[in-house]
Amino acid sequence: MSEKIYALLLRLFPSHFREAYGEEALLLFRDRARDERGFVGTVWLWLDLLTDLAFSVPAEYFRVQPALIGAPNLRRVNGMPLFFILEGQAPRFGALLLGCVFTLGAVGTISILLTQVGTYRTFRPWTFQPQHAGSAPSSAFNPSAAQRVGDAQRESRSPQGSANSAGSLNPEDSEPADSQSNGLLIEDGAESSRLQPQPSRAQNAVASTNRAMNRGATLDAAERHRVIVGAIVTLKEHYIFPDMARKMAGALLAHEKSGDDDAATDGRAFAALLTRQMREVNPDKHLELVYSQDPLPQRIGEPSAEGLARYREAMKEQNCTFEKVKVLPRNIGYLKLNSFPDPSVCRQIATAAMASLNHADAIIFDLRDNRGGEPEMVAVMAAYLFDHPEYWYNPRENTTQQSWTHSPVPGNKLADKPVYILTSARTFSGAEQFCYDLKMLKRATLIGETTGGGAHAGVFHRIDEHFGVGIPEVNPINPYSNTDWAETGVEPDIKVKAADALETAVKLAQSKLAKK
Amino acid sequence: MPKRKLDPLPSTAFQILLSLAGEDLHGYGIMRQVAEQTDGRMRLGPGTLYSSIQTLLEEKLIEEVDRREDARPGQERRRYYRLTSAGRKLARSEAERLADLLRPARAKKILRGDYV
Repeated sequence: MSEKIYALLLRLFPSHFREAYGEEALLLFRDRARDERGFVGTVWLWLDLLTDLAFSVPAEYFRVQPALIGAPNLRRVNGMPLFFILEGQAPRFGALLLGCVFTLGAVGTISILLTQVGTYRTFRPWTFQPQHAGSAPSSAFNPSAAQRVGDAQRESRSPQGSANSAGSLNPEDSEPADSQSNGLLIEDGAESSRLQPQPSRAQNAVASTNRAMNRGATLDAAERHRVIVGAIVTLKEHYIFPDMARKMAGALLAHEKSGDDDAATDGRAFAALLTRQMREVNPDKHLELVYSQDPLPQRIGEPSAEGLARYREAMKEQNCTFEKVKVLPRNIGYLKLNSFPDPSVCRQIATAAMASLNHADAIIFDLRDNRGGEPEMVAVMAAYLFDHPEYWYNPRENTTQQSWTHSPVPGNKLADKPVYILTSARTFSGAEQFCYDLKMLKRATLIGETTGGGAHAGVFHRIDEHFGVGIPEVNPINPYSNTDWAETGVEPDIKVKAADALETAVKLAQSKLAKK
Repeated sequence: MPKRKLDPLPSTAFQILLSLAGEDLHGYGIMRQVAEQTDGRMRLGPGTLYSSIQTLLEEKLIEEVDRREDARPGQERRRYYRLTSAGRKLARSEAERLADLLRPARAKKILRGDYV
C-alpha cells in the first residue's frame, strides 16, 4: 500500500528523472520500508521521503538536461547538421489535448486583446477630454479609426437626419483632415454635448455602429413603449423648461396611442420619429433622440493623464493645428487653423501665431478645414479682433461673466483690421461659433460655403442599451436671434466655392486696402 | 572553462563520493553508508540521492557498473556505482580543503580531542 503511494508520489518528478531512476527509487523505498519497521520507523521514513520530495522535485525541474547543454557544440558532425530528439515517443493524447486547449486560449486572449486595444484607441480621444466636441484630438490620434467611424456614420445616419449635418458628411469629402474629424460627428443631439462627459457615450455608440453595421434591430410595441417612457422620464428630469417637457411627453404618448409609431420597427427610424414628434411641439433643434445599434456603455472613464499626454504630443506634432501662418502680398495676414485646440496646451502657439500677424493690414482666417474644438480657444482667438470686451455668444453655456472676450489683448494691433473668414461645408462646431459670432458682430466677412451646422448644446442621457436622448440643459442668451446655426449652418456673406474662397478673400482685402 | 556543477562540492555529493571509496554500492547501500559515516545526521531521500548520483555521473566522478556477479537470482536488478579516479581525486582534494579549514581552528584550540 505505502509503496503504491510512493509510486504515485514519484510521478511528481519530471519524466527524464522517472525514466532514469524511478525504478531504483522505488527499490530504495522498498529496502527502507523493509528495514525501518514499527511505528516510529515508518513515521521517520515518511517524514524523510516527504522532505526529500519537497526539495528534490523542484530541483529536478530546474535541472538542465545534458542533451541540451551539449547541443550547441554538437550541431555539426562532418558538416552534417545534427538534431537532438528529446522525446523518442509521440506525445501522449492528453498532452496533445492540453496543447490544443492552451493554443485556443492563447489565440482567444490575443484576439480579445486586439479588439480591446482597437477600441481603446478609437475611444481615447473622446474620453480623455470629454468636452471636446471638436476634432483635433481624434484626428491627431487615430486618423484611420476616425475615418472608419466617419464612414460608419455616413451609412448609419438616419434618413431624416438634419440636412446640414448630412451635408457635412458629404461622401465626396476626401481630405484626410475632414474625414478624420467626421469621427466626432454624431447625430446632432449627441455630437452636441460639450461640457459634460455624457456625450461621449453617444459618440462611442455611433462609433460602435461601425462594428455592428450588419446587425438589424426590430422593435415591437412593448419595446417602443419602454423607450418612450424612458425618454419622457429623462425629459422631465433634465429639460430646462418643465412645461415643455410635459408637453412633449404628452405628444409622445398621444402619437403612440394613435398608432403613429406602429410602422417604426427599425431603431434608427423610431428614434428619428420620436425626435420629430418632440420638435413638433417644441422646436428645439438641440433636442434629439438617438439610436445606437451597439450597446451604449453605462458610463465612461475619466480623462486619463496618459490621454492628456498623448493629446499634448499630438498637438505638438501638428503645431496645434495652426497649419499655415503667413503674410500674403499687400501685407495680408493669412492663418489656416484646422481646429480650436485646448488653450491649456496650445495657448503659446496661438499667441505666437497671432503675434506674427500683428502688423498685417488685414487678416484672413481660413477655417475651411476646421471642425471645431474648445470654445475657450474660440474666445481666445476672437479676443484679438476687438479693442474692448465683446459679448461672445456660446450656445453651450449659460451667459456668465466669462461670456465676454478678454479684449483688448496687450500689444495687439489687429482689433481694427478687416477680417475675412473662409468657410466650407466642413467648417463645423466651434469654428461655426467663430463665424457666427463675428458675423453677427459685423466684425468679419464670411467667404465660402454654408457651414456644417453643429451647434449642439445637448447633454446625452442614456435611456437604455440602444437609445439615448440629447437634451440641452442651458439657456444662453443669444442677442442676435432666436435660432443660431444649429442644423442650418452659418450663411457666408459672399457665397463662393470653398476652393475659390481664398482667392476671393485676397481680392476683396486688396481692393479694400487699396481704397484706404 | 565552463563553471562546473559541483564547484563548490555539495556535502551530499562529498558524502556519496566518500561512501563509494571503500566498495561499489547500489543506491540503498550508498544511503546506508552515508547515514553510517555521518552518525545518522545525513539521511538521503531517494530524490536527493538519485539527483546527486545523476550529477556525479554527468561529471564522470562516479560510474555505473554492471550487475554484480553475486546478485542473487530472483532479486531485482540493481545498479551499482563505482568511484572513478577523477571522483577519488576530487574527494581527496575536498577532504584536504576541509582539513585546511580545520588547521587554524585546531591552532586556536577551538577543537577538542585528537581530530585530524
